[in-house]
Amino acid sequence: MRYPKALLGAPLFFSLMQALAHHSGAMFDDSKSVTLTGTVNAFQWTNPHCWIQVLVPGPAGSVEWSIEMGSPSLLVRGGWKPRTLRVGDPITVVIHPMRDGSRGGLFVSATHTDGTPFAAPPSQGGT
Amino acid sequence: MDGRLSVTRRSCRALEAHHVLTRGAALCLLAVALAAQAGPNSAARVRTFAALPDWSGVWQSAAWPLDISGRPPGGEAQLRETLQLIHPPPYNPTWKAKYEEGLKNTADLAAKNAAFKACTRSFPALMEAPWMFQVVVLPEETLLVFENNQVRHVYTDGRDHPPEDELWATRLGDSVGHWRGHTLVIDTIARKQEPLAPRAWLSMLSERAHFTEELRMTNKNELEDVLTIDDPLALAHPWRMTLTFRRVKELTRVIDYDCTENDRNPVVDGKLIITTP
Repeated sequence: MRYPKALLGAPLFFSLMQALAHHSGAMFDDSKSVTLTGTVNAFQWTNPHCWIQVLVPGPAGSVEWSIEMGSPSLLVRGGWKPRTLRVGDPITVVIHPMRDGSRGGLFVSATHTDGTPFAAPPSQGGT
Repeated sequence: MDGRLSVTRRSCRALEAHHVLTRGAALCLLAVALAAQAGPNSAARVRTFAALPDWSGVWQSAAWPLDISGRPPGGEAQLRETLQLIHPPPYNPTWKAKYEEGLKNTADLAAKNAAFKACTRSFPALMEAPWMFQVVVLPEETLLVFENNQVRHVYTDGRDHPPEDELWATRLGDSVGHWRGHTLVIDTIARKQEPLAPRAWLSMLSERAHFTEELRMTNKNELEDVLTIDDPLALAHPWRMTLTFRRVKELTRVIDYDCTENDRNPVVDGKLIITTP
């Protein structure tokens, strides 16, 4: 059965507003990337998401940002481990920020302050 | 002939009568007869086991190649190419009219999308979900064990679906199967009525929806599931699609995905937020 193009486009448009596995991605502004430099305050190795809490120094003192990542299974696939980050580690993180202006965002990348990555994907052990 | 064997033989013949298979029904009868005589390590069961394919490893829908942020690297454009259940079903005129009426409520659709979160899927959406899974092939059943702790049981011991008065709708439905060579043919009924998949909020099916799958390995790193959805009340014709699964080479075990462990994304006033730890 053929549908008018306009009808085909509508559900797809709405369905594709989110691209995250677990929940809608509408909360994050994909058009913006923000770079944060600070220190790790916590690294939560948990489901459904891992989180990096970053203390970012500012004129009025440090403020804490919450950085959302994928699940542990996805991080392991990307070469991350539960102790890849430790409290106090200097870190530079790039995020897509929250649209509501709160201090949080979706993880894009993370490096040591010298620009080297924290983790690399493991060699593929499967056959 | 014991009672169990008699029942399972009837089930195999029922498959034949439904034109699910003919040669397969004969093989089914043979396997059931062997299993009926077999203990767990009997030569007959070992031979049956040895003839089944090895689908061990960790698998994931090819529709969801996720990065460590939990999203496809290609973003929305990638999903547009890969997800199939989000497309409009081939409805008959009556159901098409209902679907098109629902499309007019753009505010409701937008709200559902903005606040969407899910830790489980109903069938068949589970087969197009982002979660990794393991396939456990046994002579008596095949289990699809997903990292989010959902499990599909596909019984291959020759049984039929439960009789109508012992059957009720569930999110995964009731599945029985049989082997046609190294292809697992799955028959699923009694799916609970809810949107066909997340993001496809208007795609409903009736209680008469009937699903057939042909699951096979196409190469050592790929499984294929040819899914046919039939619904005499809702669809103009059967809806056929091919779902593909890729071996997750980086993982040698399924890692637990307990969605309730640390959920920091509550919905407040219709929007997802981030809470502080």
